Amino acid sequence: MTSRRKFLKNAGALGLFSAAGMGSTLGNFSALAAQSSGYKALVCVFFQGGLDNHDTILPYDTSSYNRYTDLRAPLFEEYGGDSASNSRGRDNLLPLSPGNAAAFGSRQFALPQDMAPLRTLFQNGNAAIVGNVGPLQQPVTRTQYENNKNLLPSKLFSHNDQQSTWLSLKPEGARFGWGGVFADAHLANNANSNETFTAISLAGNSVFLSGEAARPYQINADGVSEIRVFDRNRLAPTVGLSNDALDIMRDHLMSAGTQSGNLFVNDMADIRGASLEANDLFNDAFSSAPGLTTTFPNTNLGKQLKSVAQTISISGSLGVRRQVFFVAMPGFDTHSSQSSKIPTMQRDIADAIAAFYDATEQLGQALNVTLFTASDFGRTLTVNGGGTDHGWGGHHFVVGGAVNGGDIYGDMPLYDIGHDQEVGRGRLIPSVSVEQYAATLGAWFGLSNSELRAALPNLPNFSTSNLGFV
Amino acid sequence: MSNWKRFIALGVLVFAGACTAGGQDDVDPPSSLQEDPGSPQLPSPETESLSFNESAALLTQATFGPSIEEIEDLENASASSWLEAQFDQPATLHFPRVLQKLPTGTRKDASGNNVRNAKHFAVDSFVEAAVMSDDQLRQRMAFALSQILVTSSMGNTNIDSNPHLQASYYDILVRNAFGNYRDILEEVTYSPAMATYLTYLRNRKGDPNSGRVPDENYAREVKQLFTIGLLELNMDGTPRLRNGNPIETYTNEDITGLARVFTGFSYDTSNFWESPGDNNASLRYAPLKIFPEMHSNLEKSFLGVTIPAGVSGPESVERALDTLFNHPNVAPFISKQLIQRFVTSNPSPAYVERVARTFESGRFTLGNGVAVGTGARGDLKATISAILLDAEARTPELRESSSFGKVREPLIRFTHWARAFKVNSADMSDQLTLRDAQGATKLSQQILRSPSVFNFYRPGYVAPGTSSGEAGLAAPELQIVSAASIPGYINVMNSYIFNFAVPDGGGANTNFQPNYNYEAALAEDPEALIDHLDRVIAGNRLLASTKQRMTSVLQDITINDATRREDLEARAQTAVFMTFTAPEYIIQR
Repeated sequence: MTSRRKFLKNAGALGLFSAAGMGSTLGNFSALAAQSSGYKALVCVFFQGGLDNHDTILPYDTSSYNRYTDLRAPLFEEYGGDSASNSRGRDNLLPLSPGNAAAFGSRQFALPQDMAPLRTLFQNGNAAIVGNVGPLQQPVTRTQYENNKNLLPSKLFSHNDQQSTWLSLKPEGARFGWGGVFADAHLANNANSNETFTAISLAGNSVFLSGEAARPYQINADGVSEIRVFDRNRLAPTVGLSNDALDIMRDHLMSAGTQSGNLFVNDMADIRGASLEANDLFNDAFSSAPGLTTTFPNTNLGKQLKSVAQTISISGSLGVRRQVFFVAMPGFDTHSSQSSKIPTMQRDIADAIAAFYDATEQLGQALNVTLFTASDFGRTLTVNGGGTDHGWGGHHFVVGGAVNGGDIYGDMPLYDIGHDQEVGRGRLIPSVSVEQYAATLGAWFGLSNSELRAALPNLPNFSTSNLGFV
Repeated sequence: MSNWKRFIALGVLVFAGACTAGGQDDVDPPSSLQEDPGSPQLPSPETESLSFNESAALLTQATFGPSIEEIEDLENASASSWLEAQFDQPATLHFPRVLQKLPTGTRKDASGNNVRNAKHFAVDSFVEAAVMSDDQLRQRMAFALSQILVTSSMGNTNIDSNPHLQASYYDILVRNAFGNYRDILEEVTYSPAMATYLTYLRNRKGDPNSGRVPDENYAREVKQLFTIGLLELNMDGTPRLRNGNPIETYTNEDITGLARVFTGFSYDTSNFWESPGDNNASLRYAPLKIFPEMHSNLEKSFLGVTIPAGVSGPESVERALDTLFNHPNVAPFISKQLIQRFVTSNPSPAYVERVARTFESGRFTLGNGVAVGTGARGDLKATISAILLDAEARTPELRESSSFGKVREPLIRFTHWARAFKVNSADMSDQLTLRDAQGATKLSQQILRSPSVFNFYRPGYVAPGTSSGEAGLAAPELQIVSAASIPGYINVMNSYIFNFAVPDGGGANTNFQPNYNYEAALAEDPEALIDHLDRVIAGNRLLASTKQRMTSVLQDITINDATRREDLEARAQTAVFMTFTAPEYIIQR
């Protein structure tokens, strides 16, 4: 590793550069340090495009259900209308019996049949639902929404910006995500002997995993990155290189010691060196990974979560006690053909998450791994025919052995328009801020209150910083 | 659209724009106001010949990669004359090439049998043109535009399965690469590819009885991504500020209003719900028509403009696109992104302003005194001339800045290799590894294969944990550089340069055979070979540490009399591989 990269890391740790906006979490850890013993992992499952909250957790009591199907009549027709095979037909829904049902009076809720495995996790107490979560700077009313834009997160309803705001509390261009800042707290506490494997992405260079010390390390959903270039048979085939020359080639590809007057050249060299070095270490550890007996679905999300489970299984040889993972599934921007798209994706979600939970049990890590879902935004309640448009708050799932499952946290606003919690077409003003959601997860992950406040600057604007779901 | 209509629309818009912005007075002045953006031309009269290095720099920015002959040819000419020649090159269009291979307009041959790999034929045509065709600047411009006006076959089976649709969409960008951005907006809006991708195909007017409202998808993205962006901009591309805060360009009400415009679009068949069959397959990729009975008759209000109730679909679209196109943001918003695709990730505000003003004026005077462009707002011939001939792109000293340059796009690195070493053929049959984007043996990039409408990377992407990020610099292409993708690029170049079969299909076969004769002839003397590649391929940017390593590795390959030819070839291959994998090559400066 180059000395420049080390300098940047050290400079960060000394607070020379601050994680502006996310608050500088580093430097004051001696007094109230993160709890870094044992093993714990947070797994973010991101639904790209905006999961339709109204089509994921449906109303079940007759009165709410009838109003809902009335408001969504064109979409309901596309699902099959009154046909017995309509997956949104009330008889085909899977009602939930939350432990806190009384909080909702006569209102009842249900999942679509494709999400049966997730319902089982919920009913068994290993999954919680957090209703109506979304980005907020502070609690806002409908009147405030209409009259004072300064109170709102910027660039609402824009995919890339709301993805970024969910993950980093700022629109696109942010440099630090709360997963990365959480990881920083543990790195400052020396939780991990190898920092590289602290923050692992299966889905791109997500800002979620970027802290001052933590950097996203990306692996492929199909397993680890294949590296063929150091195989002597794939270089200069007619001659072959000596071991010494191969070592030099290796240094070249690692860009060791590259020093340019251009920042991008140095960055490219640093990223290359760090990546190829990490890939080697990861491959070594991975080759001795115990096999998983759990069968994962052969889907995009299934493969990603299988890789996460496999990575957790080698946490010891990777030298890590705290890890944050990011996986993502595309395709949720269902402006059209929602009835043909969503059920399959919901089955994929439920099957993959259930398999992942089983795998953590098999690994003896169920209590130490908490998975949570996130998405750009919820969607409109009223429909454009066969689809729905961009919303704001949405409902989410938290899954794991440590989860206080079987309850619905947050709020489930009425499935209606014209009430105080919606801002047109049934777009929901979030009842719970992303920062409250994150703080609850962070507290479980072992961060101290001061670390959480530093990571989540708007947290004091909300009455509760721990929702209690884990 | 006629010019007078455009003129009137512009007049209305300037007024409306001022209202939207709440007047000029309370808006903070741009930080660059004190700077004179200067003439949008080179600071001094163009000298008639370019150095080898300057020729290479221009061709690197403006083509899919130059060969030594092309660089030497330009040495005897000028940047302006090269641009003029490029403007005159006949366009290589992809749809006719796809149609030639698939004359039925479907993926079947005349006997009704499926043609193998037919769905890739648009991508195949593009790669072949990028490597082989002479209209390099036009194809580069189309590639750049395809990363702004994004449609993708990824995750969309209707587009993925229809090579004619892909090619006809891409050809909108090829045909209009030196045309007008307003025309592109119109053709894109009526294209079945975009309508499919952003879901306004068969988007119907609202229905108060069922509660149905128009789909908002295109209304949102045409504003956010294709024309004005989310924040009001100064001409130099920086956000306009009011009391220190950026100003959002539109509200959700503007989206709802504009969504009514994009209703009623369907295939040009006899009724709204009829899909073209194999017997009239051409309608699958012909411009859409607006069915009056499915188009919203309500008033359409957005961005301070109101289209009264009852205005027809085509007229509403015309007025809506005029409104968007004439918004003051368009020039800086589009100009800056185009600069990023050709020259540098972080152009100075003054550079952006010079190009944006050219976009608005539609005219640019080349260094040789020849005026290009029609004089209409949105002229892309003038715009690309302003981008490539700007002092910030053409002055060697300015390119020495620590923040100048961009990560070369991975697909362009590959085509650069293919062009520099004059591959015998760029026939894409069986080049599976190049056709797709994701994976350990892939380049992370291919036309019409981005994961979403937000392209492979975002123009404002700041790479976490980097020195450029610390300096507040954008590095869009670094968004697809990771531990997972780095082996992909190295593996692909390894396979092609050393001429191995690629495990996923591609590489060694009868196509993409490079010619290293020139390099092999130098390979007896490793330093001569390295200096040659540094000069021709890497713009003399190779670091001493890299050259030292290359020398050591090349010296390890001994030249034996019995295998002299193969040994020299092996040295050439190895040197080329190490050049194309050097970070100082990968950054274009």
